[in-house]
Amino acid sequence: MRKILSLALATLFVLGLAVVPASAEIELTLYNNKVEISEALQNIAKVFSDQTEGVTVKVESVGGGADYSGNLTAKHTADQLPDIFVIEGDGDYGLWKDFVTDLSEEKWNADTTLAYLDPEGKVVGFPVAIEGFGLGYNVELLQKADIDPASLTSYSALKAAFEKLDGMKTELGIDSVVSMAASVSGGTWWVAGHHNFSIYLGGGLEFTDTSIVDKYNAGEVDEARLTEYANYVKLLFDFSDQTVLTTGTYDNQLAPFANQKAVFIHQGNWIDPSLKAMNVTFEYDYISHPFNDTQEHKGLYLFAPSFYVINNKAGDEKIQAAKDFLNFLVYSEEGANYMVNEAGMVPAFANITLQPSGGFSKALVRANAEGGNHGVYFGKLPAGTGQSKLAPIFDVFAQDHSDEGVSFLVADLTKLATDLAAGQ
Amino acid sequence: MWDAVFLAPSLIALVMVVILPFFLGIFYSLTDWNGVRPVITYLGFENYKEMFSSVDFLYSFMITLLYTVINVVLVNVVAFLLALLVTSRVRGRNLYRAAFFVPNLIGGIILGYTWQFMFNVFITNLTAAGSLIASKDTVILGMSIVNTWQYAGYIMLIFVAGIQSTPLEVMEAATVDGASYFKRVTRILMPMIANAFTVSLFLTIVNSFKMFDLNVALTNGGPSARFMGQVVNSSQLLTLTIYNKSITTKELAKGQAMSVVLFVVLVVFSLIQVSLGKRREVEA
Repeated sequence: MRKILSLALATLFVLGLAVVPASAEIELTLYNNKVEISEALQNIAKVFSDQTEGVTVKVESVGGGADYSGNLTAKHTADQLPDIFVIEGDGDYGLWKDFVTDLSEEKWNADTTLAYLDPEGKVVGFPVAIEGFGLGYNVELLQKADIDPASLTSYSALKAAFEKLDGMKTELGIDSVVSMAASVSGGTWWVAGHHNFSIYLGGGLEFTDTSIVDKYNAGEVDEARLTEYANYVKLLFDFSDQTVLTTGTYDNQLAPFANQKAVFIHQGNWIDPSLKAMNVTFEYDYISHPFNDTQEHKGLYLFAPSFYVINNKAGDEKIQAAKDFLNFLVYSEEGANYMVNEAGMVPAFANITLQPSGGFSKALVRANAEGGNHGVYFGKLPAGTGQSKLAPIFDVFAQDHSDEGVSFLVADLTKLATDLAAGQ
Repeated sequence: MWDAVFLAPSLIALVMVVILPFFLGIFYSLTDWNGVRPVITYLGFENYKEMFSSVDFLYSFMITLLYTVINVVLVNVVAFLLALLVTSRVRGRNLYRAAFFVPNLIGGIILGYTWQFMFNVFITNLTAAGSLIASKDTVILGMSIVNTWQYAGYIMLIFVAGIQSTPLEVMEAATVDGASYFKRVTRILMPMIANAFTVSLFLTIVNSFKMFDLNVALTNGGPSARFMGQVVNSSQLLTLTIYNKSITTKELAKGQAMSVVLFVVLVVFSLIQVSLGKRREVEA
């Protein structure tokens, strides 16, 4: 018996040796950081693999609270760096700059302005999607309160509207005017630390104007602008549900808006699928973030938050196959359908004309066509600044957003700029 | 010769996953390693110097000490009382024994999220009081309560084993001599099971210093607070600080330096505790 067993095992072993080198197939690994599009991405990868002889694209996903960047580092340490992986801005680029491939010659560059450029101006990152945010509002509730969203283009106008809505709570059946979350413990620190803070960094400026964030990294703040911004944050926090603000999770923040218990929400277009899942049928849209009175605020905040990069250590054949796959996503019907309909994203490429179905995504497409939008630049801060530094600053402010709190917020953000410049 | 062969699998595993990483870790803590870049620069004790002047680290260190003190006391007192209960003649003591132990079988992450809901939603709605973990003044207490709920059952078992191995005659003799229950417990039982205390104190000290999963899930370090003119996360214990430093901001060398300090502190504390505890142990 034992002899037979060992013979069988030996045969298996030899067979294994014989089979593996027989397939000369190229297998690409794409390491995806958006768990919500994982299935759609797997399907499109299969379509591409079926159409392309000798190439299989394998999709691995991690995300939804799991730490993509940490897992990627682990894969690299295990010498299994994927062929296509994701970087999210300058911090990540600094980490992975020895591993990225020059994509300047790719065809899709003609159809996008959002590709990731290295400091020398070479294209190294393929923009996965356009994401963006503004101040989301419930169209019906504003109509009921007789407020024209088109008039909310200044701080004073917004403040007056908030006060009016606050006085109509019982009539409208709402619990709070705004649904905002800024809590470390609830895991919603990024709403404030990444997106809200980007209003200071890029709000009201030309789309490609990075002067404020560059100065911030160099330790300088625009004091008047920072004070205006801090007062705007105070306005949002003052009219928010305090429990959600200080302890709320992502779901806790979405629920009041989805159940028409809050008129406004501070979130990006990525919540469209969640709202759909919460059976939202009412109409909703974006206004800008009118953080001061010195200009008319109409633009939304747009950016490409993540980029596919190709591992330059993967070998020429694999690199070419990976380039082909990215082109396939942009220039095939299936690819366009995948981006817009299957994955529910707003494509960063002008040649794709399909329209997304979610209310906030539609608003982004409209704003992108109209122009006059603002860049989102938290990704230009050093890696981890949002979570390790900005998160506690906004969490403390959420606990005390009095006038004294505002002066603390200004002081904390000023000190942070100095610390960043000193490399701490 | 065969000894070496049979030992080899365990030895290789030990060397690969404990001994080698330990010394590599000490080496990395003296560099600017970020986990990705192949080029590593030797910095000497720069990381250590920076760490001890960083408000974040000092606060985290302080709060971890506080957490440890509270938990060592709370867990051991509760565990000892539970042990007395389940070794007494109370009806259903076997059921209690199992029930007190069950929380220890639940993973820290699940437990953290469950208790987050309990604190933030359930208890607040029931009592109209603020959530314990939403205020910087009470968050450590909240965490300690959950930790005690989870860990006391485990420590209880150690005390139960100790109590059951105590010779009955000694206790009976004391009863005959007219010693009260309180006297019997403090003067006879506690010295008799001093070895159980040594083990329990050691376990609770180490467990408290290394607390991570519950910390991440329950509070993630929040709420934030102001300390020495800077904002810090009021419940971010040492291991979470190390994790954030290493993984979030990708400063693995600095995180590694903190781990080395944690290691040294832990070794010093447990050596002192064990040698003090040993002195109190008596033979029946």
